[in-house]
Amino acid sequence: MITAEQKPIDKIREMIAPYKRILALGCGSCVAECAAGGEKETAMLASTLRMAAKLDGRDILIHEKTVDRQCVKDFILPLDDIIDQYDAVLSLGCGAGVQAVAEIFSAVPIIPALNTEFIGETRDQGYWVENCVGCGDCVLYDFGGICPLTRCAKHLLNGPCGGSRDGKCEVDPEVPCAWQLIIERLSKFNALDRLEKIYQPKDWSMKQGLGPRNIIREDQQR
Amino acid sequence: MRKMSQLKKIFNKGDLAVTAECGPPKGADPEAIFKKAELLRGKADAINVTDNQTAIVRMSSLAACGLLISAGLEPVLQVVVRDRNRIALQSDILGASAMGIKNVLCLSGDHQSFGNQPQAMGVFDLDSIQLIQVVKTMRDEGTIWGGGPLTKSPELFIGAVANPFADPLEFRPVRLAKKIRAGADFIQTQCVYNLDKFEEWMNMARERGLTEQVNILAGVTPLKSSNMAKYMKKRVSGIDIPDELIKRMEETPKNRQRDEGINICLETIQRLKEIQGIRGFHIMAIEWEEAVGEIVERAGLLPRPSFDQD
Amino acid sequence: MDEKHTQKLALFYCERTPKSSEQDKQSLEQKYGKSIRLFPIPCSGRIESLHLLRALEEFADAAYLTTCPEGECRYFEGNLRAKKRVQRAQEIIKSIGLEGERIGIVMNEHKKSLARQAEEIMRSISHLCPSPVRSPHR
Repeated sequence: MITAEQKPIDKIREMIAPYKRILALGCGSCVAECAAGGEKETAMLASTLRMAAKLDGRDILIHEKTVDRQCVKDFILPLDDIIDQYDAVLSLGCGAGVQAVAEIFSAVPIIPALNTEFIGETRDQGYWVENCVGCGDCVLYDFGGICPLTRCAKHLLNGPCGGSRDGKCEVDPEVPCAWQLIIERLSKFNALDRLEKIYQPKDWSMKQGLGPRNIIREDQQR
Repeated sequence: MRKMSQLKKIFNKGDLAVTAECGPPKGADPEAIFKKAELLRGKADAINVTDNQTAIVRMSSLAACGLLISAGLEPVLQVVVRDRNRIALQSDILGASAMGIKNVLCLSGDHQSFGNQPQAMGVFDLDSIQLIQVVKTMRDEGTIWGGGPLTKSPELFIGAVANPFADPLEFRPVRLAKKIRAGADFIQTQCVYNLDKFEEWMNMARERGLTEQVNILAGVTPLKSSNMAKYMKKRVSGIDIPDELIKRMEETPKNRQRDEGINICLETIQRLKEIQGIRGFHIMAIEWEEAVGEIVERAGLLPRPSFDQD
Repeated sequence: MDEKHTQKLALFYCERTPKSSEQDKQSLEQKYGKSIRLFPIPCSGRIESLHLLRALEEFADAAYLTTCPEGECRYFEGNLRAKKRVQRAQEIIKSIGLEGERIGIVMNEHKKSLARQAEEIMRSISHLCPSPVRSPHR
């Protein structure tokens, strides 16, 4: 999923300051999974901001609504019925959701309540970790299901470097050296000789794209 | 006809080679390089110039190498892949060769978070092994990566680093083999204190036939003090200092610790000379360049050979 | 007695709290009147930070949770999870400038009755002034 974390409350208060009628819009997908922008978190943030407004002596209205996925046009369109009541939308979606809403309701200012961070997994309850950088050319098979581009701090394809210590990355002793993990994993499959070949330079143009990347599927269109 | 790399000549002759290291200043003053050059003149066959080591901004390695050449010394251009993409790297390789630099050492580089610009983007467009391949392609096939022809190929002796003490140990010889296959002509190792472990690594390398395929220079660094020894053991990854050595330094009175550090270094060189497959020494006396002269002299490595123009 | 207890306390409590039957609840509500609102929950682990925030927003000067003693939760970790959620709610109200003590947790080590706990908590919050974020007329 895409992970995000709530911006500091002071920053959010600053951003909503010019507005009096705000729709706090949550998302039931990725940001709900990482406990940043789901229905519950949206309710908590709205309650907190209402209390904060009282402390500031401000009279504002904050309503809450959560859609299944904020990044899908068809799920956002129904908001059309209520959007006129508000002078701003405080979105608890990821960057994709915020922009999708901004695109549809372009006359309403939209404020991001979250900082979008990474593509990752819920490794354990309350613990999310990055595991994909969206390179556009997945090579996970070659590395036993461990992505060196994401999990090696130098994204080496012919690692390891000489900096690891006790199997941990030189950058952070809490972070395992991805190459240590890859070597251990491939050893389990007796496929360690795969690492004898020199992995060629990555085609980064598949990640960088020519501007924002897109996918078009005619068989999926109306 | 261009002069061949001094290192290459010495290896071709079968003699032991000596390289030393020179760190560029954190400033624009060329005098800093010239001063170090004088301390190292005649003490080593070629002098490595580090490339923004520890991700700290310093005068560029390429520029500093140019200054060394103007001072009549032979540099080894260290290139890290952390700061430049493949366009800039290949461009620098062409420039280096044009300036008369004859040796290049390809490295990953310390992560940018270590240095004084931790918010910088770490590039790592290529990794060190891919860089070796790219340089070899430019030199031997006369093209840039991807096949576009060069008007003139760079002439460079290609080096890489090896760390016999880093994790995972069993994999290190595989990595060494990859670097050789990619095109490394010479290897400089991380500094050696634990000779038993180093010999183990050399044995593994020899078993794979690697010591015949590449020229290995063993790295040595004289310890300045017991504190330095303890610091390196604790904080610097890939350095293995046996406890007996630390004890030995600690038991030496402070005003004699530098001398003892040099003694240990000389003993290490002596043992290294006896290991089959060692083709020379890479002396990294960081911010203690004066020590290099004393070490090579007492190790019987002087005078350094000089060759007539070829 | 009631004049002293002008604070409005929202008290959430685990069903297993000693002497916390429906009858006990009603007699407490009679005793304290509007000063206290009681919320039984099946396990303290069912508390959400949101409940505590909403209590403060709607009507309470303080919102507290009492739990079974540490190590004695029927569902093993309920009270430990509750502790973390209370902490989170405290951090949130502190971040907007409210006193952290308006939210709290009491782990009932000495197995006191609901009435006894209510009395002690009311006393411990008596120094707090009426909440500036409470909705009026509630």
